[in-house]
Amino acid sequence: MPTWIGQAARNGIVTSRYPAEPATDAEVPETARPPIPLRGDAALHDGVARCPVGAISEEELDRGKCIRCARCRPAGFEFRGPVEASTGRRAELRVGSAAPAGPGLVEALPPLVGFPRSLHVFLVDAGSCNACNLEVLALANPLYDSQRLGIFFTSSPRHADVLLVVGIPTPEMAPAVLRAYEALPAPKAVIAAGVCPISGGAFAGTPGLLAGLEELVPVDVFVPGCPPAPVEILDAILRVHGRARTAGGD
Amino acid sequence: MDPAGLLLTVSVAAFFVGAALGPLGRRGPYLGSLVGSAGLGIVAVLVLAGGSVTGATWAGPLGDVEGLTLDPLAAFFALAAALVWVATSVYSLTYDDRRSPLLAITYALTLGSIALLIAASDQVLFLIGWETMTLASYGMILQAKGPGERIFSAAFVFLAFGEASTLFISLAFAGLRVGTGVFAFGPHLGPGDLATLVFVAGLLGFGIKMGIAPFHLSEWLPIAHSSAPSNASAVLSSTLTLAGAYGLFRLVSLLSSPPLWWGAVVLAIGAISALLGALFAAVSEHSKGLPAYSTIENNGLILVALGVALLAQSDGVHELYVFALFAAFYQALAHAIAKTGLFLSAGYIEHTAHTFDLNSVEGQAKSGSRGEFGGTIIATLSLAAGPPLAGFVSEWMVLEALFQSYRFGQSWVEFVGLLAGAAVALAAGLIVVAMVKFVGFSMLWRPRPSGAGPPESRLGGVVGAVGAMVLAIGVLAPWILRFIAPAVSGFAGSSVAAPVGQLLAVPDGWSILSGSPFGILSPPMIPFIVVAGAAVAAGYYALGRPRPRRRVPIWMAGSPPGQPGETYTSFGYGTGIRIMMRSVLSTREVRAETGESSGAGVDPVAAYNVDLEVFDAFKLFYEALVRLGQGTSAVLKAAVMPGRLGRYLAYILIVVLLVVMYVAAFY
Amino acid sequence: MSAVRPSETEPFDPYGPERALAYSPEDATFALFNDYATGRPVLRHGIRIPVPTEVRATWQRSRTPELTRSAGPMETIEGYGIFTFPYGPVSMGVPESGKFEVRTYGERILSLEPVTGFKSRRILTSIAGQPISDGALRIERLAGNFSAAHAAAYLAAAESAAGIEVPEGELWVRALAQELQRIYNHVHVLARLAEAASQNVGAAQTHALAEEMLRIQGSIFGHRWLFGALLPGGPRRHLDAADRRDLGRRLNLHSEQFERLWELFLGSRTFIDRIQATCPVRREEALRWGAVGPTLRACGVAWDDRLRVPVTPYNDLFLELSQESAGDALARMLVRAREVQSSYLLLEQMLDRWPRDPGRLLSPAPPVAPGRGLARVESPSGDLVYDVTASDGRVTRIGMRAASQANIPLFARGLRNGVFTDFHFAWESFGLVFAEIDA
Repeated sequence: MPTWIGQAARNGIVTSRYPAEPATDAEVPETARPPIPLRGDAALHDGVARCPVGAISEEELDRGKCIRCARCRPAGFEFRGPVEASTGRRAELRVGSAAPAGPGLVEALPPLVGFPRSLHVFLVDAGSCNACNLEVLALANPLYDSQRLGIFFTSSPRHADVLLVVGIPTPEMAPAVLRAYEALPAPKAVIAAGVCPISGGAFAGTPGLLAGLEELVPVDVFVPGCPPAPVEILDAILRVHGRARTAGGD
Repeated sequence: MDPAGLLLTVSVAAFFVGAALGPLGRRGPYLGSLVGSAGLGIVAVLVLAGGSVTGATWAGPLGDVEGLTLDPLAAFFALAAALVWVATSVYSLTYDDRRSPLLAITYALTLGSIALLIAASDQVLFLIGWETMTLASYGMILQAKGPGERIFSAAFVFLAFGEASTLFISLAFAGLRVGTGVFAFGPHLGPGDLATLVFVAGLLGFGIKMGIAPFHLSEWLPIAHSSAPSNASAVLSSTLTLAGAYGLFRLVSLLSSPPLWWGAVVLAIGAISALLGALFAAVSEHSKGLPAYSTIENNGLILVALGVALLAQSDGVHELYVFALFAAFYQALAHAIAKTGLFLSAGYIEHTAHTFDLNSVEGQAKSGSRGEFGGTIIATLSLAAGPPLAGFVSEWMVLEALFQSYRFGQSWVEFVGLLAGAAVALAAGLIVVAMVKFVGFSMLWRPRPSGAGPPESRLGGVVGAVGAMVLAIGVLAPWILRFIAPAVSGFAGSSVAAPVGQLLAVPDGWSILSGSPFGILSPPMIPFIVVAGAAVAAGYYALGRPRPRRRVPIWMAGSPPGQPGETYTSFGYGTGIRIMMRSVLSTREVRAETGESSGAGVDPVAAYNVDLEVFDAFKLFYEALVRLGQGTSAVLKAAVMPGRLGRYLAYILIVVLLVVMYVAAFY
Repeated sequence: MSAVRPSETEPFDPYGPERALAYSPEDATFALFNDYATGRPVLRHGIRIPVPTEVRATWQRSRTPELTRSAGPMETIEGYGIFTFPYGPVSMGVPESGKFEVRTYGERILSLEPVTGFKSRRILTSIAGQPISDGALRIERLAGNFSAAHAAAYLAAAESAAGIEVPEGELWVRALAQELQRIYNHVHVLARLAEAASQNVGAAQTHALAEEMLRIQGSIFGHRWLFGALLPGGPRRHLDAADRRDLGRRLNLHSEQFERLWELFLGSRTFIDRIQATCPVRREEALRWGAVGPTLRACGVAWDDRLRVPVTPYNDLFLELSQESAGDALARMLVRAREVQSSYLLLEQMLDRWPRDPGRLLSPAPPVAPGRGLARVESPSGDLVYDVTASDGRVTRIGMRAASQANIPLFARGLRNGVFTDFHFAWESFGLVFAEIDA
């Protein structure tokens, strides 16, 4: 007779080894990682016209705008960059032609002060498509199991250290986002997860919407992606803690 | 007459002198009461320390000697009442500044008559005091503010129950007189049918005054429905019921060798009252109705302890008998003081927030004085049995006594004890809900910026002083128990020692022992433990790395906080109980369509008024009683009172003849 | 706020061949989409209506920026001790932003009013004037977990409006993506219900199963949420024989695992008891307020767009309609579970009979005269309707009615007289997504 215990035993341990080991292809599809211009300037030049969100200019590729639609792929872009693409500096999301097309793209962020132990995260949806929300929720499932890393999700910002914001801030949600930020006790950190809170992503330029989360609150870590995979969000939370993998390294 | 006797006489007289000064101003009666209570308290302390005191005596109309005397049993109740009255009288001097002088007069008369009945050495004087008390407190209830019809009906209910109580007590005393041959309290009545009659009549008579089931209506209704003045409510709830308890204790102490079923009946009634009182307190939204229901719960606990004591007495378990008696006395003391604090606090809330409805107080009393805040917290914590306060010690003792019901020889008695224990435990849990509701929605709520009146520091100070008393009665329990041992001895008829002793490393005399030993509690140690724990925490905090204080605004799921109509109501807080206990409360939702309003959609939006009502099943009992009464009086009216003068003259003649025959038969 | 936004609502013009065009949330006449008596759809899929050159005023379904409080007619409730319990817009119980105003005297929900519009990203108005393919980028991000259904419906409507012939292979890819996502969503609902019922082992196992479906989607289409899978011009990846073998193998494992879990859930008394009789929807209510999808099928109405509005490839495949009659959360979950099973079966049939020539969509689309296209697909939560007017390869007007918009009044009504703890079971059992309400 089937039982829950038997069912659990049959499946064994399914939890990811990340961040002890690099992200696998199953966790983040090999073709859905941060973009890299393979052919340098030429790729940028060819990609400008193909990019529907204006993430590519003649000088650089802005991962903070890229929704990874892959329309630029025929022009020489590949989506095989390191999973550890979150950064504390917005400028670091801009990848120039001279940038190395491989590992070591992003430096590790110095750990933010004040979080010596476990980290409590509060999720705020500022206007998302629900994909980012579900990816954040996925961190709690047994495959990612964020609790093994001391990362917990709270149901009130008053108990949290980190505000994890997804979605492009709408004017209707802006007051609530501000209230959540104020209710977060100091020291606090804000993570903008996905390109929507960074730049608006696919909705950039819509009249009436905010241009990004930075218009409302200071952002500590930017996570590119549309949506970022659970591993990429995990990387950003670990970065707040100073425990993130160095990009591409072991 | 020795000086103590003189003081007793003067103290009792002071109340009535004060009342007589009433027409000259409100201060007279209150000052008279203050003087009288203080004197009474001093005499009571002297009695408990030294022995009975006799005041003025005179020859009664039937040849007996009657007069004022305070034996240790009466002194205990006099002391409890005096403590309450000193607080309420000081409070009244500030509180009562706008009301009719009649309130002050009836207040002093009520207090004086209670003092009289406690100090009465015989049944006649006791009954005079009892009847005066009923009439004076009826007058006090009539001084309420509000719709006149409601006040009259509430006051009438009070009077009706009061007279019923007098009737039963007269019956009990008549039996006692027949059995012992004297009016004076002293000789015991042996077992038999007469004793049973006395016991049942006395339990009914004094039970009505204590508001026990099924007479709990008599307790809460006059207080809640008439919204009686707060000083009156405190006196009604704390000391009127104390008078009932005194009468019951006095009567039972005069009946020797009770049969087993007496104890079982008292225990069962007590347990049911405790449970009903706690249950209705938990679902009451009235800042006075809630404490009034809590009084029923506490009186139930007193009866539970008395019931265990009677059972233990019948069964010959002497140690448990003594312990249960001490529990009953301590419960009476703890309740009287803490409940006074609660009612005075309710008066303060009414004074500042201008409402009795806990739903709309919204923490406005929080802006008040520190004494009010601290006193209310302590009083509610005590009534919710929070350590180390008075209510905690007394409730611990009651429960400890119940836990030992396994000592009884017969299994059905053990079973009754078991059921009563379960009911009392449930009541103890429910009363916590009620007390949290009271203090939470009046004191701990984030106050609304406007509307709160200025703090009344003098009123608050009295509440704070009562809180200090409650704390002292809790922490100093072992010494107080030893101090009141003469009173318990007076009840038991033989000298008993307080259940205080030494166990573990606690100094001798610092612990209360139930059994030998069954359970142990050391209230004086609790502050030490609390202080030591706080010191450890403070030391850890001081020596450790400084931690930033994290202070953030409240969070309402992203919505702006503090919107009108979006705050949890005290009604909502109690709804869980309403729904959980729906079989007892007969909870039902009444939905009435009140019209239509145009909504955002195409269809008009129906408007409803929804009420979640609870129903006291005992109301059916009263309705039946009322119907019976009306039916009987209609019949009597037609048959006996046709309105003809000749008939009435005939009645008078018959009564006179009967009295003459009765007297002739006796002598 | 900017003045660039087009006028919010224009008067309704009852022109057109179909009376059923008279749908708008204000009229609450969603039910007119279908003629339940004859079982025939009134509003058909993929029809093209010529639009006169002169622009006629037609209805426009665009989100107003103000918060909307009219999810369905509600009663006003007053009484002693009754207060409004505001829940949201940010709560962890519902991971999306949206608010509920609950009238209660404590414990019991007397009435519940959803307040939507917090996440309004002005998608429909911002697409106007954009090329069809760029609009698709936003449409698939309208509701991330329903991306395939939204993209398929939008594309079908836009293509018929623009007069684009769609190769058969493309339709098969769209159907495949939709069925994969249907399985994901239903499994996710099951996991969330189990979580709410504190079935921790079951919830963990089921969440893992949902995650496995995301990974299958990621490996087949290169995106865990199928963004970019359904675009004019074809998906990022076409399925070759090896892909299909791999997909078939993984789906077999997935379905075996699901069957085991579902059997265990059906044997769990606490779980079944908790969702049984929770948030019931009566059949008459469902028809009156226009319920769709599993909500509708769970109260005894046999309606599934895949059967009633058949398009390629559904008209060639065997599909059993799942139906229940109780209308409660359990009935909705039973319908979903059976749909998961039938989706496995559909996918198996598709993989067996996959068309040889995938076909390529002509890109860019040939410019044609302005036209208007209607499309309806069965999204995981129910009937989804798009109405797109296109001209010269660009979208000029777009209207949409999502399943969550149709079902949220039923959620609100079903929860009346429930208790607070029913909330999460009710919410999850409807499969509601604020993102598609607040487009």
